[in-house]
Amino acid sequence: MVAVKKTVEHVASLEKYKHGFVTDIEQDFAPKGLNADIVRFISAKKDEPQWMLDWRLDAFERWLALEEPDWAKVSFPRIDYQDSYYYAAPKEKVGPKSLDEVDPDLLETYKKLGIPLREQEVLAGVVGSPKYAVDAVFDSVSVVTTFKKELAQVGVIFCSMSEAIREHPELVKQYLGTVVPVSDNYFACLNAAVFSDGSFVYVPPGVRCPMELSTYFRINAENSGQFERTLIIADKGAYVSYLEGCTAPMRDENQLHAAVVELVLLDDAEIKYSTVQNWYPGDPETGKGGIYNFVTKRGDCRGDRSKVSWTQVETGSSITWKYPSCVLRGNESSGEFYSIAITNGRQQADTGTKMIHLGANTRSRIISKGISAGRSSNTYRGLVSAHPKAKGARNFTQCDSLLIGKHCAAHTVPYIEARNGQSKFEHEATTTRLSEDQLFYAMQRGLSQEEAVQLLVNGFVKDVLQELPMEFAVEAQKLVAISLEGSVG
Amino acid sequence: MSLASALKTRDVTELPGKRDEDWRWTDLRGLIRVLPEPSPRFTGDVPAGLFDRLAADHHVLVNGGDARIEVAAGRKSLAALRLVSRGAGAHANRVTITLAAGARLRLLETYESDAGSVSQTTLSITLAEGAALERIVVAQDHEDAITVSQAEVQLAPGADFGQTIAASGARRQRLETRVAHPGGRASLRLDGIYLLADKRHSDQTTVVTHDGLDGTTIQLTKGVVRDQARGVFQGRIIVSEGADRTDARMGHHALILSDRAEVDAKPELEIYADDVSCAHGNTVGALDEDALFYARQRGIPETEARAMLTEAFIGQVVDRIWFEEARNVVRGWATRALGV
Repeated sequence: MVAVKKTVEHVASLEKYKHGFVTDIEQDFAPKGLNADIVRFISAKKDEPQWMLDWRLDAFERWLALEEPDWAKVSFPRIDYQDSYYYAAPKEKVGPKSLDEVDPDLLETYKKLGIPLREQEVLAGVVGSPKYAVDAVFDSVSVVTTFKKELAQVGVIFCSMSEAIREHPELVKQYLGTVVPVSDNYFACLNAAVFSDGSFVYVPPGVRCPMELSTYFRINAENSGQFERTLIIADKGAYVSYLEGCTAPMRDENQLHAAVVELVLLDDAEIKYSTVQNWYPGDPETGKGGIYNFVTKRGDCRGDRSKVSWTQVETGSSITWKYPSCVLRGNESSGEFYSIAITNGRQQADTGTKMIHLGANTRSRIISKGISAGRSSNTYRGLVSAHPKAKGARNFTQCDSLLIGKHCAAHTVPYIEARNGQSKFEHEATTTRLSEDQLFYAMQRGLSQEEAVQLLVNGFVKDVLQELPMEFAVEAQKLVAISLEGSVG
Repeated sequence: MSLASALKTRDVTELPGKRDEDWRWTDLRGLIRVLPEPSPRFTGDVPAGLFDRLAADHHVLVNGGDARIEVAAGRKSLAALRLVSRGAGAHANRVTITLAAGARLRLLETYESDAGSVSQTTLSITLAEGAALERIVVAQDHEDAITVSQAEVQLAPGADFGQTIAASGARRQRLETRVAHPGGRASLRLDGIYLLADKRHSDQTTVVTHDGLDGTTIQLTKGVVRDQARGVFQGRIIVSEGADRTDARMGHHALILSDRAEVDAKPELEIYADDVSCAHGNTVGALDEDALFYARQRGIPETEARAMLTEAFIGQVVDRIWFEEARNVVRGWATRALGV
């Protein structure tokens, strides 16, 4: 009986979606809908200079001329772009000077999410535990950025995008929109017009950023979208590791998240970008609600020998449309993409990467693990291309899909374009279900079916998990277990 | 959007182009500004065909027309099908092939075209229960021809379909095979070879839909491109919900032997059933330098060593042809196309 009780407790502890609460906080909204005045409103709210407003208005004009893409293997009702708030911010009391002035409800929210916003809290743990700085974005604004002083000592700029536009306009002007051009695609263009906040990082030449940087995105307000924009610049020989996490409350409506992330790498620079995406996935039975996650992420290896590494664990969102890419422009630059995409319930994911080899001796590596369960659909879509000048380009791609249950779907859609005789591309893909033999073995050793599945799935995704920074890896492993809950038996 | 409908309506906006996902690497719309006049009736003689010696039953369509090949239950047949274009006109062919239960057919198909011709061939192939068909296609088009061949294959349970397409390209060449696979121990082999030089283009596209239990599909396509040629491979395997115990494997491997040649590939899996085993592999690259070094240090001159390795690379696909005499003809064709 003890065992039964334990099992009941264990199952109860695996809450369906533990970040689904709503914070009741006084907020500022822009009027509902989208037009040039809303764009002006957002820009004015953020006290932006004229050039930024012009940039936004230009993007908005272009967006009106674009059409929503429909090539991804996802289906959803037409989005009414006029039926959403494009700006929602917690009301603040004339700009908090320190953490003590930040609304305690907000601090409580982040505490509940397990995000340390007080620097001493980070340090309060075990001596020698890794430090990481956090930029917390709540709906449309960044509420707090920690460890700024310590980072400034080595010359690293880590702040919110709004602050960067005010304090470092020359850097923003130089790089913003150069990796993902304004009219790159429908959602990126929308983002350019209405983006509200996000993180800005600049790592000066030769500096290895002394701690992990991270941003924590939280959608809270009803009927609102989140459009953040992140720009990371690693100057010559610089290194930075950046983590990103996201959650949202459980709501019956769909909310749009259309972000843009731009990475710029000069000679010998390296950026490691890790994401644990856990937006609310919608109701598993009815598919009601959940976040539409339409994100454009791209790293531009402008310098020779530079390196971008994308690692993503995608477990949330009702619909994911996301292809973190690498433009390998510099000679001998390299790109990596490690991905775990898990869909359950009624989730749909169409995700993958693009490796665009432009420089000589560029290398790329793609490891993608897709798991579909319930009635979900999971697509890997990727492009590997070599320009005629990319002599000696190398790519290795492995994408494996795992199916759990009779009603889910897994697709693999790779595009390979080789335009010179000195590049070498290898691609392999498999789709299978969990091995009955392995399950049987694990269960006859005393594991429950659920535990056995978790064990096998963790083995399946191990190649990717080990690419994640420590503190994320533990979180991600738990997330994998929660995401698959109820998928067997 | 198809060449067939464009030929019918003579409207170039009906042509598929690079905005159509399935034609992204074989753009007809951007290439054909004006459709050539319909091909005139041809009454002269055509030169001997590649498989003339092997077949007993000959079907020759010159500048368009219809052909029907039927094999009765339990009967065996060996047929040659020649799709010939003479002059720079446009035309369409329609071919119907029907195999009754337990029938067996070896089909030796060739495409032979002239400069400036535009041709569309639509094949409808039906195999009844337990029927077996081996289709061997050699597309030896003119470098200035535009050829599209689209085969719809319907298999019944227990049927056995094997196919090898060997192509040397054209200005635009598209050889498409779509198979409805009912499972039920029906087995399918879809192979391809493309050997391209100069500015030739060749596109081999396959779509296999598994709709029932216990289906198997094996696919192997290999290509060699040189000069400014462009090889395209698109393979899609769909496993519908409930088509459990499907076993499907697809391989595409290409050698690029010059700096300006191009290979584009899209091997797709679309799976809606969980008890399946599906895989694809794709490689694109140059000749293996280590193998080349090994051959040379054994005293084989470089050009010969290259030829030997390239031939061996293609040989793996040729060897999978069941019909021995046809296998030898294809081997000879490949040797000539590789120029070794």
